[in-house]
Amino acid sequence: MSRPTRSSFLALAAGAAAGLSARAPAEAAKPNEMSDADVSKLYAAAKKEGTVVWWTAHYAQSAADRVRDAFKAKYPGIEVQFIRQTAQVIFQRLNQDLKSNVHELDVFASTDESHYVVLKKQNVLSAFVPADINKVPLSLRHLDPDEMYQIGALGFVLINFNTKVQPPHRWPQLGDPKWKDQLTLGHPAFSGYVGNWVVAMNDKYGWEYFKSIAANNPKIGRSVNDTVTDIVGGERMVGAGPDNYSLERKAGGNPIDIVYPDDGAVLITAPVAVLKAAPHPNAGRLFMNFMYSREYSQVLVKSYNYPLRTDVPSANGVKLDKIHWTRNKVERLETGIPEVVAKWRETFNV
Amino acid sequence: MARNVQRLERRIDAGAIVFALAVAAVAIMVMLPLTWLLYSSLQNPTNATLGFANYATAFTKSIYLTPIANSLILATSVAAIAAAIGTPLAWLVARTDIPGRGLLRGLVIAAFVTPPFLGAQAWMLLAAPHSGWLNRAFVAMTGSTQGPFNIYSLAGAIFVMAAYNIPYTFTFVSGALALMPSDLEDAAAILGSGALRRTMTIVLPLALPAIIAGFIMSFLEAISEFGAPAFLLIPARTQVITTQLYLFFQYPTRIELAAAYAMPMLLVTAGLLYAQRRLIGRRRYTMIGTKGGRRHLIPLRGLRWPLFACAFAVPFIGVIMPYAALLATSLSRAWGRGPVPGNLTFYWYRWALFDNPETQRAVMHSFVYAFAAATIAVALAITIGFAVQRGLVPGAQIFAFICMAPYVIPGIILAIGFYAAFSRPPLLLYGTAWMLIVAFATRFLPIAYSNFTTSLQTLSGDLELAARSLGAGRIRSIVTITFPLLRNGILSAWLLAFIPALRELSCAIFLFTPQTAVISTVIFDFSDAGNFEALSTLGILILVATFAIVLLMYRFLGRSLIEAEAQPA
Repeated sequence: MSRPTRSSFLALAAGAAAGLSARAPAEAAKPNEMSDADVSKLYAAAKKEGTVVWWTAHYAQSAADRVRDAFKAKYPGIEVQFIRQTAQVIFQRLNQDLKSNVHELDVFASTDESHYVVLKKQNVLSAFVPADINKVPLSLRHLDPDEMYQIGALGFVLINFNTKVQPPHRWPQLGDPKWKDQLTLGHPAFSGYVGNWVVAMNDKYGWEYFKSIAANNPKIGRSVNDTVTDIVGGERMVGAGPDNYSLERKAGGNPIDIVYPDDGAVLITAPVAVLKAAPHPNAGRLFMNFMYSREYSQVLVKSYNYPLRTDVPSANGVKLDKIHWTRNKVERLETGIPEVVAKWRETFNV
Repeated sequence: MARNVQRLERRIDAGAIVFALAVAAVAIMVMLPLTWLLYSSLQNPTNATLGFANYATAFTKSIYLTPIANSLILATSVAAIAAAIGTPLAWLVARTDIPGRGLLRGLVIAAFVTPPFLGAQAWMLLAAPHSGWLNRAFVAMTGSTQGPFNIYSLAGAIFVMAAYNIPYTFTFVSGALALMPSDLEDAAAILGSGALRRTMTIVLPLALPAIIAGFIMSFLEAISEFGAPAFLLIPARTQVITTQLYLFFQYPTRIELAAAYAMPMLLVTAGLLYAQRRLIGRRRYTMIGTKGGRRHLIPLRGLRWPLFACAFAVPFIGVIMPYAALLATSLSRAWGRGPVPGNLTFYWYRWALFDNPETQRAVMHSFVYAFAAATIAVALAITIGFAVQRGLVPGAQIFAFICMAPYVIPGIILAIGFYAAFSRPPLLLYGTAWMLIVAFATRFLPIAYSNFTTSLQTLSGDLELAARSLGAGRIRSIVTITFPLLRNGILSAWLLAFIPALRELSCAIFLFTPQTAVISTVIFDFSDAGNFEALSTLGILILVATFAIVLLMYRFLGRSLIEAEAQPA
């Protein structure tokens, strides 16, 4: 079940805190939070490793480019090798690597939280508590009670549209015949954002919802960012798309805008983790630690992603607690995504 | 010292050792993946018992059967269109006085060396239903609400892939026509037969084996192509065999099911190539005795320029328009903005070559891997080809067969076998550059082998024997006499393996890891988020590199590229 819509973040925060204390015994093995001295030591060790390898589905290539540049500016001497791909693709590549005992990755940044549950079960993640984790909203601290992964980015699946049209304001309106041949979607078997959205819609409106969308003959790409390209190019008018990349292209003067649907945008809490067998464990931790710095949140805002830190204002000034959103629980994603991918293949034939 | 070496050579013939090593390498490269492919297809993934469960799953569910039907429709249509256009085009260029024959030939070669996935990418820019430039121009000119083209459809994919398959029929048929003397036609003309009748009753029947061979070649290319269908048919929500195989590789990877699903394609490929070889053989037989006859060009008179326009439409669709689209996009700051001031920039070239370490590494990997793969393929081809041709080993035909075997294995299936064989100890190549290098070397070994042996056939063994009788060892006689004489043959075999390895996608997409990404896999990755400028830029870079090499070959070797690539002896 997606969680019911909340108007305030605090309620969720309280819930998360309660969840944490209920699972208190697991905290025994938890590592301590990084101190400044720890970070300097980490940097020295990371410099010896010289490189960090990062696979991310968190944001578009342009945002990831900025993150790399900001990290290199703060920590000279460490090369960042990264790829940006959809969540399911990097997860599949990581699993192929693990199966063959190949270790090339340090930092894994997917947008499907359930990936981390699978990886935890395989015992391939290493626990890490970054220095400034307490600067992120209370409810998003310690996403995993065992500290095997942390929040790495925030985003929404919402309605994006070409400014030539009057956009819908509720999800069920995408099934309106008015949008025939005008819709664009990503694919839940590729994109973590889309997977999250499909699970949330399925749980809220039932699978019938997608049958009504299928009747409108949507164009289906792979990444959730495909919707932005389609809308900017005028190929399609309305999509279930991301806030970040849509806003970035809007800022570039393209005819695209976003609507936070009245019945709730889908909040994506995209996790990040360092692998246990990382070839550059210190550089990996240093990089992950960087994600809670002010620089990282500022760079996110520059590329229209939601900042992780509460002390960095968001790009469009919209505050999390003013947005109507729903969020899938990780347990639900675990079974939900494979389930909806199978249904999706039947309904959309792809 | 020298005497010692000579004595040693005579005792254990160093050549035999080199040969044995080459045979071992080829066995590992060719036989091991095939064995694993077969074994995996029979393996139950949960309890490791053997049986036909994977086959039952793969060939009874409608969700897996539809892609097979789609693939058959796609491949048959592509082959039929390519043959139907390639044949008259070849006739025009080979037998008539149509203007611009050299230009047309050159453009057909350009279409041949263009990876279909780049063509697909370019046609997405041109003919996406709403945003494609052609559709937008149509809407602007006619005022209608929607343009006529939809590249995201089975028809769209057939159209694009046919454009890049015309060169096969074109080359085979022009080859056949070039050997066909005009005597028979002249005789018919004297007896009062018109040009059309002569063409239909004499020229076409004589060219028929070549046409069928072209059809088969295109069919096989189309059914095993991964890139173009992935670009055009995934958004069209139409699966074909290759895109379905790609889905089997998604998490949780079902390699056993993929192996079973790939089997029929392997059998069809092998069967059709066998048929094609027989047809080509027959074509050559037909021409014996008539070689050297007089050939003259048929005057087209008033139809010269109208027919030139028709003929030119073929490369216009396959080469000129797509290249222009890619080039324009690669030079745009943001392609959606169109050709407005301030949008023209070399930004993406600087980005790809200097600012972005990922694309930089991919470009470097592509060249290094293709270089290593071509070198390995040629070294194996020389060692085994020489021993086989000179009759130095018993059972020579078996070795020749193994070297040629990868020719009948579609890249995507070779990749599945490679993944099954080399992603686990003791031969763990996955995650290293060798995974791609060895896969490329295997895939293009037949090209290297057939080209090397063809040139070797032209050289008699007498010179080597003379050297041997004067006391030189086998290796010395080869290195000092045979190689220098065969320099061009070896170089062209190397280049013919290097060119396709440089832009290989259907194997690489399954075998690369992000640390060993190559240009083609980066292009595929960028395609998922509509990063059209970046991927057009990388596409142009591949094309520039390819054309530089093709030009070199023409200049120094004078080889007919398509003949050599498409038709291993």
